[in-house]
Amino acid sequence: MIADMTESLISVIEGAGRFTRFSAAAVKGLFVERPGRRQMVPLVMEIGLRSVPVVLATGAFVGMVIAVQIFAQLHKMGSESAAGPIINISIVSELGPVLAAIILAGRVGGAMSAELGTMKVTEQLDALRTLGADPVSYLVSPRFLACFLLVPLLTIYSDAIGVLGGYLMSVRFLGISDYHYWHQTRQFIQRWDVFVGVGKAFYFGGVIGLICCYKGFMAEKGAEGVGRATTDAFVASFIAILAGNFFMALFFNNLYDYLYT
Amino acid sequence: MSDTGESKVCLPGDGPIISVEDVHKSFNGLHVLRGLNLKVMANQTMVVIGGSGCGKSVLLKHIIGILRPDSGRVIFDSTDISELKEDDLSRVRSRFGMVFQGAALFDSLSVLENVAFGLRRAGKHDEDQIREIVLDKLRLVGLRDVEDKMPSELSGGMRKRVGIARAIASDPEVILYDEPTTGLDPIMADVVNELMLRIQKTQCATSVVVTHDMKSAYKVADRIAMMKDGVIVESGTPEEIQSTENPTVSQFIRGEARDAVEQHS
Ligand SMILES: Nc1ncnc2c1ncn2[C@@H]1O[C@H](COP(=O)(O)OP(=O)(O)OP(=O)(O)O)[C@@H](O)[C@H]1O
Ligand SMILES: [Mg+2]
Repeated sequence: MIADMTESLISVIEGAGRFTRFSAAAVKGLFVERPGRRQMVPLVMEIGLRSVPVVLATGAFVGMVIAVQIFAQLHKMGSESAAGPIINISIVSELGPVLAAIILAGRVGGAMSAELGTMKVTEQLDALRTLGADPVSYLVSPRFLACFLLVPLLTIYSDAIGVLGGYLMSVRFLGISDYHYWHQTRQFIQRWDVFVGVGKAFYFGGVIGLICCYKGFMAEKGAEGVGRATTDAFVASFIAILAGNFFMALFFNNLYDYLYT
Repeated sequence: MSDTGESKVCLPGDGPIISVEDVHKSFNGLHVLRGLNLKVMANQTMVVIGGSGCGKSVLLKHIIGILRPDSGRVIFDSTDISELKEDDLSRVRSRFGMVFQGAALFDSLSVLENVAFGLRRAGKHDEDQIREIVLDKLRLVGLRDVEDKMPSELSGGMRKRVGIARAIASDPEVILYDEPTTGLDPIMADVVNELMLRIQKTQCATSVVVTHDMKSAYKVADRIAMMKDGVIVESGTPEEIQSTENPTVSQFIRGEARDAVEQHS
């Protein structure tokens, strides 16, 4: 029993060590061998362009549903005029980034771990090494970079459409006055809130890229191995996103207090 | 090292260029290599035979340094490659070519890009020259007009041959073939046999060939080694192997199933 627990603890620590080394190698790879256009262009197309519709759809619905919920609560208290800032802050600094990250972990992360997992089990990673390429800097570094840079960009799209959706819902359908909505929003929302949201998105992007590539590289032989890697990658990214979001919220609040009060 | 088609005289070197010494390797408790020893002379072709799952592919991966031994050494050209760091290893590997059992073509790259991969990374040729070389190597393995196809559009045998073209693209000194003729029709299998012989004659390459195809083994081998239970149980010239007294070996090369089930357990 205790031996079992020690063993699983050891394997967790070993796993964390391997992941840390893997991540360090991926970051180092960016400097050792700058990812070329040949590698980046297809990734930018796949991640940056093809994800736009799903990210916009997510953003729009998030904006609208928040407007509906928050309006309902505030209506009871008779303070609908506060809806604007609350809706927009929720979208820009919390739900927009988190939900965009989750949808991208599913779409982009899943595809990446399946692709790299297939390469692992069909010995393509070994083949790369025999041809003088380091699989981590050749495959992982560009994917990490693409996720790190593009997830924030997609988050900005998602935020924008979410803000728009929230506005349309509140002003057009729920009857909050246009003037109040924006006036209040402008008073309470600060550049800081947008900064926090986008800052988180960099972390989400990086962590999705690293976790999904890592799980792909660890895939075990056979088709089920690749399937398992993909599921594991999604679950691990999901947890890393939500836990990271929590700790970043603490961190950014403290940073805010430190900087501005 | 131009490929003129003329035979040079390739004398076997005075020492082994590859020397696998007492190598052990386990995977999650499965002891695959158990103190394996193998010497391969320069400019010679060593064929390794042995039952399915006995560790032949694992052995090849140790020779090229993709896997590291748990204990023992792998010496290539007087360097212990089991000790090298990955950066230095990749320099050593540039002298090798490897044909993978399942071809291991890069799915996302065209046939041309696959075969050109090593050449592009080496950066010694311009794109026009690379294209010439690639088309030439594809012709050598009996493939024409496939360079713009994707691997998923090829048959298994064609993929295998693209894998061979990729391994020999940069005229490596040592070529490791993992079952190069498996899955090919008899004529294509013989094309590949002839190709292996020709590469050895024209470029004085050293080859290690893993195969189950005894016809191919006799045709290309200077020496044959039989692997069983994680060690080399017998090695010798094709004639010696054919006339061996060792029952395990003679049964294997004749492909007899008698007692095989018991012997495997
Ligand atoms: N990377 C690995 N991780 C875990 N086990 C492995 C790995 N590579 C090989 N093995 C195991 O080692 C054993 C030998 O495998 P290997 O592929 O070398 O056999 P082989 O002799 O090439 O067989 P075949 O003739 O069928 O190709 C197998 O049981 C295999 O499952
Ligand atoms: Mg094999």
